[in-house]
Parts: sequence; C-alpha cells; structure tokens
Amino acid sequence: MSGGWATGSQTSLREANRAAILDSVKRYGGLTQVELVGSTGLSAATISTIVKELTSSGLVEVRPTSRSGRRAQLVTVARRVGLAIGVQVGTRHLRVALGDFGGEVIADQTLPLPSEHRIDTTLDRTALLIVDLLDRVGATLDELVGIAMAVPAPVDVATGLISVRGVMRGWDDEPVAQVMSKRLGKPVWVDNDANLGALAEATLGAGRPFADVLYVRASHGIGAGIVLGGRLHRGFAGTAGEIGHVQVDPQGAICRCGSRGCLDTVVGADALLAPLAGSHGALTLRDVMHRAMAGDPGCTRVVADAGEAIGAVLASAAQALNPQVVVVGGELAETGEMLLDPMRRELRRGMLPNLIAPIDIVPAMLGQQAEVMGALATVLENTDVADTVDRAATTREEER
Amino acid sequence: MTPPEGIPVAPEHPSALVPLLRLSQIERRFGAVEALVGANLEVRAHEVVAIVGDNAAGKSTLAKVVAGVLQPDAGLIEIDGESVQIASPAAAQQLGVATVFQDLAVADNLDVTANLFLGREQRRRGSLLMDEGEMEVTARRVLRDLGARIPSIRTRLGELSGGQRQAVAIARTLIGNPRIVVLDEPTASLSVGQTAEVLTHIENLRELGLGVIFISHNLNDVRAIADRVEVLRHGRNNGSFTGREATNEDLIAAITGAFRADGHLEAYRRG
Repeated sequence: MSGGWATGSQTSLREANRAAILDSVKRYGGLTQVELVGSTGLSAATISTIVKELTSSGLVEVRPTSRSGRRAQLVTVARRVGLAIGVQVGTRHLRVALGDFGGEVIADQTLPLPSEHRIDTTLDRTALLIVDLLDRVGATLDELVGIAMAVPAPVDVATGLISVRGVMRGWDDEPVAQVMSKRLGKPVWVDNDANLGALAEATLGAGRPFADVLYVRASHGIGAGIVLGGRLHRGFAGTAGEIGHVQVDPQGAICRCGSRGCLDTVVGADALLAPLAGSHGALTLRDVMHRAMAGDPGCTRVVADAGEAIGAVLASAAQALNPQVVVVGGELAETGEMLLDPMRRELRRGMLPNLIAPIDIVPAMLGQQAEVMGALATVLENTDVADTVDRAATTREEER
Repeated sequence: MTPPEGIPVAPEHPSALVPLLRLSQIERRFGAVEALVGANLEVRAHEVVAIVGDNAAGKSTLAKVVAGVLQPDAGLIEIDGESVQIASPAAAQQLGVATVFQDLAVADNLDVTANLFLGREQRRRGSLLMDEGEMEVTARRVLRDLGARIPSIRTRLGELSGGQRQAVAIARTLIGNPRIVVLDEPTASLSVGQTAEVLTHIENLRELGLGVIFISHNLNDVRAIADRVEVLRHGRNNGSFTGREATNEDLIAAITGAFRADGHLEAYRRG
C-alpha cells in the first residue's frame, strides 16, 4: 500500500488500487488473488473486479494454479508472445531477469557470488535460477525463446568464447553458450557486459536521444560499450571499448591480462579498496559507495580519484570516437556527481573542445538493470517473432 | 540512491574498534566429547563472520553458547568489551543476540505476524489485548528492511516455501532490535532461488549494521557473503581467512586438517 494519492474522487481511488495491484504482481512475479488481498490490503471483491479489468485491458493474465493443495488463480503480468532470459554474470553477483517480448522485466533474482567463482558452479546455478524464475511466474521452459548472458570480459560473439586470456580466471576457452544451450535446450548468446549495458542505455535509457553513445561501466572492473550510428560496435573479436586495459601507469602493477599499469589496476575494486584497508579496515565495494554517499572523506576521495583516472582515459576514447554523450553506469555511478564531476573535468581537459556539440557526461538511467535489459534485448533482436507466434499458437492448439 | 540508515560515517567511531562480541578460550565438554577446546571468535558490527568445519567440529555448539542455550565450562565472553554471562536465550536477547537455529522453530499453524512476535506479543497500553495493528505495521517494516518476498503477512507459515520460512525466521530476529544475529545453516536444503534470497537477506542484515555469524557447509555461499571465514576443527580454531581472498582449496585444507594452524596439533597432543 504505497500511499500518497489524492484523497476524494472515486476515479483516483480506483487508479491507485489498480497501481497497487500491478505493483504487487510485478514485485512478486506471480500472486494468487488471495495473496493479492494480503499484499495490497484491498478487499477480495475489489481485487477480483480490478483483476478482471486489468485482464481485459491485457495488462495481466490469470491462469489456474494450486496453493497448499487448493485450486487458486495465479495473476501474472501479461506476456507478449514469448519469454526471454537475460543473465548478468558479475564479479561478485549473478543477476537473472525474465522478460517478455514487450521488453518488460517480469521477474528477477540476484545471487551473491564468491570471488573467482568457478565456471561449472556458476553456470549450474544460473540454469537452476532460470528454471526457478520461470516457475515463479507459472511458466515452463517451452515458453522460453532464448537466453543472453553478459560476462565481465571481452567476448567473440560469433563463437561465444572469451577472447582475452586471464580476465576471468578459469573461464578461458570454455564454450559458455554451448554448455548453457545444451543444458536448457535453448539458443544462448554471450556478450560483454558493458556492450549489453550500452545497448540498453542507448535504446531505452539515458542515451536514447543520441545516435553515438559511449557507455562506461564502472564496477569491480571498468569497461565501455560503443554505440555508433545506433549500432553496437564490438570490434572484430569483441575487444572494442576495453578501456580497463588501457595503460595509465607504465610503472604500475601487473594486470590480470598480463600488461602493466592498466586502468583496471588503478580503479578496479581491489585497487579502490587497498588504500582504505589501513584507515577503514576491510570494506566491500558497496561499503565504499555507501560511506562515500554518507560523507566519509576517505571514501569520497577514493571515488573522486577514480572519476579522474577514468575521465583521462575516456578523453582519448572520446577523441577517437566523437560520441555525443558519455553514459556512466555500474555500481560506482550510484555515487552520482561525486564520480561524474571529476570525470567530466578530465574528459573536457583531455579532448578538443567541439564548439558545435560539446560532449556531456550523464548518469545511466537503468542502474543495475542495464546489463540484463541489454541481454533481454539481444534475445528479442535475434529471435524471429513471427515464427515464435506461430509456434506458440500451434502449441496452444495441441494443448487443446 | 540513499545509503541505508545506520551506516557509520568515518572516521570510525572508536567503539567500532572494540569487537561487538568476543569469545576467548571457550571450553565445552559433553562427557568424553570435547565439543569446544579453547575456541576463539570475534564479531564486529557491519561484518559477516562465517564458521565452517566438518560435522562435529563444534560449529553448532559455538552458536548455542552465543545464543545462551549452552553454558561454556570455561572461557570468556565479552560484548562491547565487557565480560558477560549468557545464562539463557532470554539473557542473550537482552544482550542483543538473536539466533535462527537449523530447525527454525516457527509455528506452521500461525501466520507470519504471529510468528514474528511469538512470545513477544505487543499489548495495548493498560490492556491484555494484543496490539495487532501495531504488530502488523512492524511486521511489514522488518520484512521490507530485509527485502523479503512474502506477499501477505497473514499467510500461515505452513503455506510458505522453505526460503520464505527462512526469511520469516531471519526477520523475527530483527524484532528485538538486535546487534548480533546468529544463523545456523540457513541455506541447507533450499533451492538455488531460495538460497539467493537468503544470501541477499544476510547482505541486508550486514548493511543494517549488524554483526552476523553465519554457519554453513556450503563454501560457495560462505565465500559469497562472508567478510571473514573461521575454520573449526575438533573444537579448535584451525585458520582464519578473509572472505574475499579465501579459496575453496584453502578452506578445505583447513577443514580436513591438510593444513594446520600454528600450534593446532600441539594443542591437540596436550589435550
């Protein structure tokens, strides 16, 4: 019951009730009408009327299910044509989102992962989470048309292989797409996380008004996705936009990739946490963000310095590509101007001032959802909708 | 995004340097069985400490000592640097320690709110009647703080999934505004989806500024969320690892005894 609506008119009350029911259904994936009574606080009669309305306007669907042995009506968000799964394999988190062909996220789940997580365990848990999410909305594997996965490493999309050795330990030379596809019997696409984030931000998020967008993902590692003329530019085997591996300190530490002084060795999670260990003890990346936002001077400084270092590299990248806008996402971007302001300063200082279209840096709009939404978009892009409609219709006929 | 309440603004308050809970040289025997032999443990605010070990390594005994269910034969327990005795579960609650045991101890025939307030029902002022409205408001708040996906607080526990029941048991610990939460095998026998939810709940407890003791067999779950991993072997500490840096190999070596912490074997010989 998220309050705040104007009191008084019947219409506004009805509107508020509709919104409350839709919110609940979206939050839980699928709820029975009885559960909706509990979660919204509305009466059973009101729920019943509004669910009927929402069903007829195509916003929700109702299907039979059972709860503790009793028959019940499961209410879910109406899905258009088929279901897609978007997966983001992060450094410390796995995120799985279930979406439909309208691009709407129907249900999602995050699982914390250990550092240096193993490919076999992670892929196994991914497969189980996918089945779990489908189950939550009362769907089966048959309704799923495909899966796209984002990984924090450059990927050759033609083969689905990680194209640089050492960036994800233990994931080199592993045919991720084939393993998942064999396991679930569905087509699987694998791409770099910043590329998929860029795709989502450029089509649905902060980059929407622009044709040329540079998306930077600042999280445990740094990566960028490049959208030129509305198309994602991956490079020949997927290493375009890997700004995390641009050398910034010739005397710096050796990076996982084997070179020396990469941007990742300066602003990656380990590099950000190390200087705080003495003064602040053991923190996680999230702790640093939270404390920086709460005004902790040490954490604020670490974030600002990271912004500066990334901005300097972005200046060269933006000079080479001349995008209209730089969109900044990833966990670090949650600190807002604390990161963006120094980044903007360095970016402007390091490139030619363009009088006609001065470049701007803006925060991402999709937040932590960007990568999975890009993954969902990839499935939709690669699937022939008409074909799926036919097949879905045939299946329904057969069921009858 | 706004940071959750309770995040300390550094420079760290000096009190954060004193551990929330410190157990030193805890001994506990059951006849000939040496369950704990000089075990040590420290937990700070805003920290998840995992305890791992083989069966009968003393993990649950240690949890029960912290929860006030068992009294140690010897050893020192300090909370906020002050020596305390945890004589009973009620005393533990008074001291700000809340525990979720493996069997959850929830009542299947009662609804979510009743379970959250079991034994601590709020009464209307000057009356024996229960203040149901107030309890429901609090119930909604703690479930929201935890990010629990429980559609209705009036659902009977018997109708919830394993993960949701675990979420209710964890949420119940938040009712008394504790500072330390002990979780004994919270992810055992859960599906991956439910495990994901419980692990996320534990991350949220940490973000609320609590100290969490997380006992588990699953090294993946442990390494995913623990700041520190303490290994117990035959009732003794056999290694302490940073969660971010520990590998499965390190932990398994310490659990099985392939690796021995300094003095572990010596202590064993001396008894």
